[in-house]
Amino acid sequence: MLSSGRHLGVADVVGSNLDWTVQLDEVRVGFGPKQILKGISANLPKGKVTAIIGPTGCGKTTLLRSINRLHDRRPGFNLKGRILLDGESIYAGSTDVRELRRRVGMLFQRPNPFPQSIRENISLGARIHGLWSRADVSTKTEYLLREVGLWDAVHDRLSSTPFSLSGGQQQLLCMARVLAVEPNVLLLDEPTSSLDPHSTTRIEELIAGLKEKMTVIFVTHNLQQAARCADEILFLEQGEVVEQAPVKQFFDDPADPRSRAYISGWAV
Amino acid sequence: MRFNLTAGGAGDSAGPTFLPSARRLAGADLTGRDRAVRWVLLGAGLVPTLMLLFLTAEMVREAIPAFVYSGWGLFTGHVFTFGNLYVTKLTVHNGVSAPHGAAYGALPFIFGTLVSSLIALIVAVPVAVGAVLALTERVPARLQPGVSVFLELLAGMPSVVYGFWGILVFGPILAQHLFPVLTHLGGVLPFFKGSVGYGEGLLTASLVLAIMIIPIIAATTRELVRTVPILAKEGALALGMTQYETAKVVTLPYVRRGILAAAILGWARALGETMAVLMISGDLLNGFPANIYSPFSTIAATIVAMLDSALTDATGMAIHALAAIGVILLVITLVTNLLGRLIIRRVSHGVVLPVGRGV
Repeated sequence: MLSSGRHLGVADVVGSNLDWTVQLDEVRVGFGPKQILKGISANLPKGKVTAIIGPTGCGKTTLLRSINRLHDRRPGFNLKGRILLDGESIYAGSTDVRELRRRVGMLFQRPNPFPQSIRENISLGARIHGLWSRADVSTKTEYLLREVGLWDAVHDRLSSTPFSLSGGQQQLLCMARVLAVEPNVLLLDEPTSSLDPHSTTRIEELIAGLKEKMTVIFVTHNLQQAARCADEILFLEQGEVVEQAPVKQFFDDPADPRSRAYISGWAV
Repeated sequence: MRFNLTAGGAGDSAGPTFLPSARRLAGADLTGRDRAVRWVLLGAGLVPTLMLLFLTAEMVREAIPAFVYSGWGLFTGHVFTFGNLYVTKLTVHNGVSAPHGAAYGALPFIFGTLVSSLIALIVAVPVAVGAVLALTERVPARLQPGVSVFLELLAGMPSVVYGFWGILVFGPILAQHLFPVLTHLGGVLPFFKGSVGYGEGLLTASLVLAIMIIPIIAATTRELVRTVPILAKEGALALGMTQYETAKVVTLPYVRRGILAAAILGWARALGETMAVLMISGDLLNGFPANIYSPFSTIAATIVAMLDSALTDATGMAIHALAAIGVILLVITLVTNLLGRLIIRRVSHGVVLPVGRGV
């Protein structure tokens, strides 16, 4: 399922097949005159975890946010090239952005629950997208809270505010909120960077369990975490792809000297 | 409370000290000039407090004869007249004498003040909040400073201009075009039935008041909306919510408390607004408006309208009566303010959260 050829050209990408969930085709993103991504081409495999790594400012988060069109309203945003989701261009005029964002869920650097009750945090998205009926709310909410491991902590206060939960619990709640709208792709933007080790472990376990059902793309600064969780590594530097490789190959025997240098800065 | 302007006073002779000694705290190291500055500033600091106390005391003192003369009638009476100021015959009531036929019943003004300001508030809050959401979410970022300037200009416009515009332009337009449509509501709300008049009255004044307080509420709300963390809104957008849904689910709950506070600010302004209301109210005395389009009056407008003739009352009771309704206005404003604060505190203890925490 995974091909090992890297630095894919346009031709490889456009000949889309079912192995790829997200295909990046010469993606260039800029804000005003400032160019952040300078032609990213990569195929992100279906049902796997891809970690996007690279030094600060290399465009990891910019790339991630391009995949659910979260940049759309930023002043000066411009994108050239194509991003395909299951073979369809997401920046085409016919794209339903709401439906795209339902299919491409996202977890942020810091937990950002809604200022609503815990129950509504989970149910609102699913209700708005018409996935749950009113009658579904209590059973499906319970199911999701159990899935992320929050049920025991919150089952007796579903109507109260999520802001009294710990940061880790809030992030798990946000995870449940995303899962409620049944995404096919999950974008994670350093989801554990503000969490304690216990919550981090819980999030990582969830990622491992979820990849059977969806494609996971996550940005991390933490190479150990990338090595633990990812199947694929996409290494960026200054807005360009340096190397994409299966995780073992990337860490054991990177093809590009820049990858080697980056890893050895970390390796003991 | 100490202002040590000179470097190293008398108390520092033993070398540099960084902890204030007892002598320094007592002001022993101050020069004469320092002491003078201290007293001047202390005095300046007390002025507002003293002013408020003095003003209230003076108003109450001035109002007492009217309270004694009318008793509860001041709050329940429908007739407000200074009596016949041109004959020497006096009416004595509760041991206080007033010109013949004088009656000081302020209920219509109290009613007018409360109802007009409430209608204004009911209209202004949704418009102001809606306008702010539209501005912050829809107007491109680079145009927003320009729009804010307009908001502030609007807030600073003299009320006499609003009044002039209200009576000359806005009132007639409303009476011609909007009010006839509103009479259809008469079936459900009897207050909307009947003659629509010429545009001088309760609803016109309330709507002008609304326009006057919209910038106040909007300016405050805009500052609040800006404090909502972007990350919180992105959570909703990333879930596929529209901007409208995001505003409902995230932005509004974050600013709800603040909007209440802003509304109370606006309400206070509407309660005390004088000139515009005076010009548009139709200045009804001694009765209640027949319907929502009819002339009415408020406490503030009445005080201004009647001050001239009150000064001609040799017994001084007319002035006492105006002072009395002034005190009532003061109390209403105070009570609504306190009530507002109470509501804000209550809301903050409920499901709604402290702004910005945890995000």
